[in-house]
Amino acid sequence: MTAETDHGIGEAVAARIERRWATLSIVIVGLLVGMATFIGIHQATMPQGHVETADPKTLHLAGEFIESNLGSAVEANGSITVRAIGQQYSFTPQCVVVPSDTPITFRATSADVVHGLLIEGTNINIMLVPGYVSVLPIRFKAPGDHVMPCQEFCGIGHQGMWGKVKVVDKTAFLNMAAAKRRLTCVD
Amino acid sequence: MLINKRLILAHFWLAFAVFGLALLLGAWQMFLRSPLNAWHFNPEFYYRSVTAHGSAMGYVFPTLIGMGFGYAITEASLEKPLIGRRWAWAGFFLVAVGAIVAMIPVSLGLASVLYTFYPPMVGNPFYYIGVVMVVVGSWIWVALMSINLAIWKRENPDKPVPLAMFANVAGSYLWGWTAVGAALEIIFQILPVALGLTATIDAGLARVFFSWTLHAIVYFWLIPTYIAYYTIFPRAIGGRLYSDAMARISFILFVVVAMPIGVHHLFTDPQVGPGFKFMHSVFTGLVALPTLLTVFTICASAEIASRLRGGSGAFGWVRALPWQNPIMLATALSLVMLGFGGAGGLINMSYQLDASIHNTQWITGHFHLIFGGAIVIMYFAIAYDLWPHLTGRALESFGMMRTQLWLWFVGMIVTTFPWHYVGVLGMPRRMAFYDYANPAISPQAFSVSMSAFGGLILLISGMLFLTVLIRGQMAASSESGAYKFAVPLHMPARIPVALNSFGLWLALMVGLTVVNYGYPIAQLMVLKETNVPAVYIGASR
Amino acid sequence: MSDQSPFSFRNPWVSASVGITAGIAVLAAFAGLVWLPLAQPDLKLSGIWDAICSAAGVPRVSSQGNAIQPDFKTSNVVMTSEMLTKPNQVSIGRGATLAQRCAICHGPQGVSDANSPNLAGQFAAVTYKELNDFKTGARVNVVMSPFAANLSNQDMLDIAAYYSYLPRVPSNNLDPKLAAPQIVTTGAPMRNIAPCGACHGDVDNKAGSPWLGGQSAVYIKAQLHAFATGTRRNDISQQMRNIARQMTAQEIDQVARYYEAQP
Repeated sequence: MTAETDHGIGEAVAARIERRWATLSIVIVGLLVGMATFIGIHQATMPQGHVETADPKTLHLAGEFIESNLGSAVEANGSITVRAIGQQYSFTPQCVVVPSDTPITFRATSADVVHGLLIEGTNINIMLVPGYVSVLPIRFKAPGDHVMPCQEFCGIGHQGMWGKVKVVDKTAFLNMAAAKRRLTCVD
Repeated sequence: MLINKRLILAHFWLAFAVFGLALLLGAWQMFLRSPLNAWHFNPEFYYRSVTAHGSAMGYVFPTLIGMGFGYAITEASLEKPLIGRRWAWAGFFLVAVGAIVAMIPVSLGLASVLYTFYPPMVGNPFYYIGVVMVVVGSWIWVALMSINLAIWKRENPDKPVPLAMFANVAGSYLWGWTAVGAALEIIFQILPVALGLTATIDAGLARVFFSWTLHAIVYFWLIPTYIAYYTIFPRAIGGRLYSDAMARISFILFVVVAMPIGVHHLFTDPQVGPGFKFMHSVFTGLVALPTLLTVFTICASAEIASRLRGGSGAFGWVRALPWQNPIMLATALSLVMLGFGGAGGLINMSYQLDASIHNTQWITGHFHLIFGGAIVIMYFAIAYDLWPHLTGRALESFGMMRTQLWLWFVGMIVTTFPWHYVGVLGMPRRMAFYDYANPAISPQAFSVSMSAFGGLILLISGMLFLTVLIRGQMAASSESGAYKFAVPLHMPARIPVALNSFGLWLALMVGLTVVNYGYPIAQLMVLKETNVPAVYIGASR
Repeated sequence: MSDQSPFSFRNPWVSASVGITAGIAVLAAFAGLVWLPLAQPDLKLSGIWDAICSAAGVPRVSSQGNAIQPDFKTSNVVMTSEMLTKPNQVSIGRGATLAQRCAICHGPQGVSDANSPNLAGQFAAVTYKELNDFKTGARVNVVMSPFAANLSNQDMLDIAAYYSYLPRVPSNNLDPKLAAPQIVTTGAPMRNIAPCGACHGDVDNKAGSPWLGGQSAVYIKAQLHAFATGTRRNDISQQMRNIARQMTAQEIDQVARYYEAQP
């Protein structure tokens, strides 16, 4: 019967168009995931490579996050390690100084609650979870000043938690490093 | 035929009342932290408001919508009274009482922990108990959906489950499973600390448990919207649904893939390894698939309706659509917002792009656009469509409805687009005030003011919405006939059992959860040294 | 209706969906746990198993070399929220006896006539910490250091419990009408100054932050100056030094006068 055949043809056409769209959708999704993977391998930036733990209660007593060990340190291979802690309601060091155009490893943890930090003008963005150490390899292309707010609610004083990052010229930094082993730009 | 109208209406009225109050708080918050306000106030009020707004809008409002709409679908699509009516009322009261129990400490400033309540910050135990009560109330609904479907299937062997019911039950299963994460976090980690039974908590593990719930909960919110797209919209505009099978596949995809992707909220966290972050990223990309399929099917269904009305041309048919119909308008506006919000979501899906905007105002803009915008505008449409059948009275303020919908759309764009922009500029989230005079922040000032103005538009739209509903409650009585769902273009005589039942899909959902979350959770649970001291907020002076 | 079971692999829906899901999961797992970590040169992994463990999130301790030690003493008190929040009558009683020797400067009711800090109603954790810091030398004061040197840990806990139990007494300069200066209510966010009340108890309490209401203005001012110049260094991880060094002299004055006027 014509009506049935028409109906059957209509259904087949509809199904075919639908399958084409489904295939296209799968291809689109595949492309997006593939792009993220490719970029990941070729190092746009990757999540931190290991999970490390730290005890927030005793950060100030012993270990790498004691007060006198915080700040920017020059490593033997010329790279920089910046150590910082987040606490209610400031980062220590309050002002982080780093050289431009140098590989830097940023290591930080929280002394109390969940904080976060982002460095405005860059894609540097990490959470600080008490009990765990956040590690991020970073690099600044040019000298400049950036603000570094806490980006996660950490208590009633959260809105006051703004740190600073000063990126200075490489030679200027190394001159400073000759005088002190842990550098900050806190007065 | 809707029988338990009072039950359904109770859910909707409580939902919209909570929505109205929370909307007021939201608009106030936007004003408070914008340059329009001279920022000299106790910041605790802001955080208190954000806690209330987020908890109400995230845990109470959409849950009640899902439940009420779910009961309506059960009765209308299965064409029989709801089984377990007393249990349904019990669930409703549990949600209502739970919401009040939670809101009391929040209003008193004893639990300003925000709706994400990240430990080790811990507030008054009754806030968490209230949230648990809301969830348990909703789990009664989940059980009732399952039971009602099972009984109907036994009475109607070999019949295809009506699409609306199929999607509804899919959503209920998804919610039932996804709520487990936050439930575990609250019951086993937070409440012992809040009640003083223990003083330490693993903050990283808590964030992982919460991420289990945090993403898939938005799909629980989204499923009523998609049910409206598939089963209300085509009928409302006088057309047919393009494909029943593709609709089922979309909902099935949500059940399977919405769950095991929560770690994309933890991309920048130190307690999860990069391997699992990548795996969640892949599956997050996959969850775009059902939305892509849905957009196609709904647009095709619209085209059918338009051509039936005489629309012609490759794109000209759009003009022939019944734009006077509020459901048409709502769906179109929803799809536009879904497009933008979904694109934003694709950006958030990869670690690389997420790093630039994590925990900035981009995130806030994103979820307000997609949830507050695309999803909630369809909640309005659902209410408009169901109201005459629930109240037995005419709902006729079509002009006001269209104005309300346009205002919601415009308001949402004006609120969220600048929000996305300042997020890209690096504006951090969740701060009670900002010093807009400072050169680091002054570029953001104008956009934030615009956003606050958008909040005002949304508030007006919300008030209009409530006005329409209240009017509908007081209008002349009118017979609206049986509540019908959209009919597909080609209804197959038989449906594969896989598209008519859930066993396989639930097994995959649970299996993927184990694969994607099993090791991260287990590994953190055995770590003893990461239990950190609780920090009590709102502590006694 | 198809009579194929939803769980049988002979059902093409089952085999396809399980197969595809498993396939994607396996590929994603391989890429995330093996391929991507090994493709990053700066991770310094020692082989495939190390790569998998790192990527899965197995926690590790990294050797960070020797930490630079300070050339001054820092506080060695471990401060937690619930520290000393549950008073014990026996402890309070012992503290009352011990506190008799504190009364010379700190007043018989814990309210001082001189500009020694008022201790009445102070959070026990705070009193305990300061005594401890005086004893270890993290905080140095000509008068307090010798007093604290002779106190045992239990003594310090008892004294702290006793003083926290005493009622707070407003100062002679109580003035409820004094408007709170901006630095107190909203702080100065870009200078990293949170509102004082966010920690010091008027809005919320951060463990170890003293209650400031009714405290001598002279004392508050002196302490803020000491933090600002770095002479006082017993604030764990510089949390008060970070704030005080950003305050102007005028703001320090305002804060001191405001809190002296509070109950």
